[in-house]
Amino acid sequence: MNKVITINLGGNAYQLEEGGYDLLRTYLETAATRLHHNPDQEEILTDIEGAIAEKFRQRLAAHKSVVTAKEMSTVLDEMGPVQADGEADDPAKPGASEPTDRPEPENAVMPKRLYRIYDGAMVSGVCNGMGAYLNIDPTLVRLAFVLLTVIWGTGLLVYVILAIVVPEAQSPEEKASASGLPPTAQEFIRRAKSGYYEAVKNFQAHGRRHAWIRWFHWRTCGRGYPWHSYWRGGWAPATPLCPPWTGFAVVSLAFLSGTATVVWLCALTSLLATGTLLGLTLPAGLPVWAAALMLLVAYGALAGALKTLRWLSSWSRDPSARPPAAALLAEALVWLSVTLVLLVLASHFFAELRAAVHAVPALIHQATDDFHAWWGTR
Amino acid sequence: MNLNEKFSGIRKGLLEFLVLQIIAAEKVYVADILKQLSATQFATQEGTLYPLLSKMRREGLLDYEWKESEAGPPRKYYKLTPKGREQLRDTLQYWTEINETVKKLGPS
Repeated sequence: MNKVITINLGGNAYQLEEGGYDLLRTYLETAATRLHHNPDQEEILTDIEGAIAEKFRQRLAAHKSVVTAKEMSTVLDEMGPVQADGEADDPAKPGASEPTDRPEPENAVMPKRLYRIYDGAMVSGVCNGMGAYLNIDPTLVRLAFVLLTVIWGTGLLVYVILAIVVPEAQSPEEKASASGLPPTAQEFIRRAKSGYYEAVKNFQAHGRRHAWIRWFHWRTCGRGYPWHSYWRGGWAPATPLCPPWTGFAVVSLAFLSGTATVVWLCALTSLLATGTLLGLTLPAGLPVWAAALMLLVAYGALAGALKTLRWLSSWSRDPSARPPAAALLAEALVWLSVTLVLLVLASHFFAELRAAVHAVPALIHQATDDFHAWWGTR
Repeated sequence: MNLNEKFSGIRKGLLEFLVLQIIAAEKVYVADILKQLSATQFATQEGTLYPLLSKMRREGLLDYEWKESEAGPPRKYYKLTPKGREQLRDTLQYWTEINETVKKLGPS
């Protein structure tokens, strides 16, 4: 299922898939640019539009009313790039399938300009744009910036200034101009949307498809993996058709594991500070360190089980559909930093916790002493 | 094909001549022209042909009239002007001369 855009070509309405519409717009805009100095620009464009409309009619039928993005691409390949001033292009060159191989007329080559490129950027697209401009791998540019920052400390300043000053490439022409490629932007758009339409077709449910589209935009906008969507659950890229209760299950499981963490922290604190387990006295003869260890193991088992459940419900029953390592890392980092911040804050404000933290070295000493004693008896 | 590449400039220049030829035979619209050219070494595309036709019309070589078609909106049918006919005659003659030159200079 794809969004459809209705257009008017030569007095008739045609419905195009969104991607096809983008291709057509780029084609016509490029044509208009090339015919800029042609006195018959309007008329030629009208003729071209009419020819495209005729090709649509050949492809449409009573039970087929929408032109797909793929068909649009074929139609535009058949049309061929519009030549400036009636200069015939080499007619026998099989360039239709590879538009970039065609020698472009001089006025069609975009002047190279420095832009920020958001597609595939890590922060703001500065390095990406510079890479395209200098025709080198953006990773090298990033590395150079990191080195500049670490060694001289100026890299960050330069980066921030560039991020503010350099404009972002937004239109296909600007994107083409960022790398100096001719604005046969078909290739560009095709690259940007690769896999997009294929994948979207797999989604039957409206909400799930929208979540996926959002995710795709996130990813193609270069903001990395949206771990928050992973938390929110309700979709899974590898196996799109999740049961509808998935979202609920993921949220409640996350809530459960969060509660388990809090309970565990409270129990550990009370154990270390007062030697009791949330008011319950320990069984006689059980040292505090052993109780803490048991608590840790119990928590680990519970949290592990909850986490597995959450995976199973959000990433479907297919075990190969595991979340990307980056997502897990991000999740772990967030969890760790939140816990640390909470601990620091808590140790500032609660005397009990402070006592617990102070008790840790003594506890370790006791544990090692106990271990030594136990080892000695053998 | 190496020869195709080598003669791309010549074919480029000859496309206009061939379009004159095709239009001289009968009133045609663009799809007809493309179809007739498609089987030859001069196969071309709308993106090239429309600007070329517009240039030729501007030079007064051809003109068009609108004609209803059985399916879809009316089409532009192209025909030669007297000036176009004259140019075609001149080009044909020139082309014959070139051919004769090629034959004359080769081994007999």
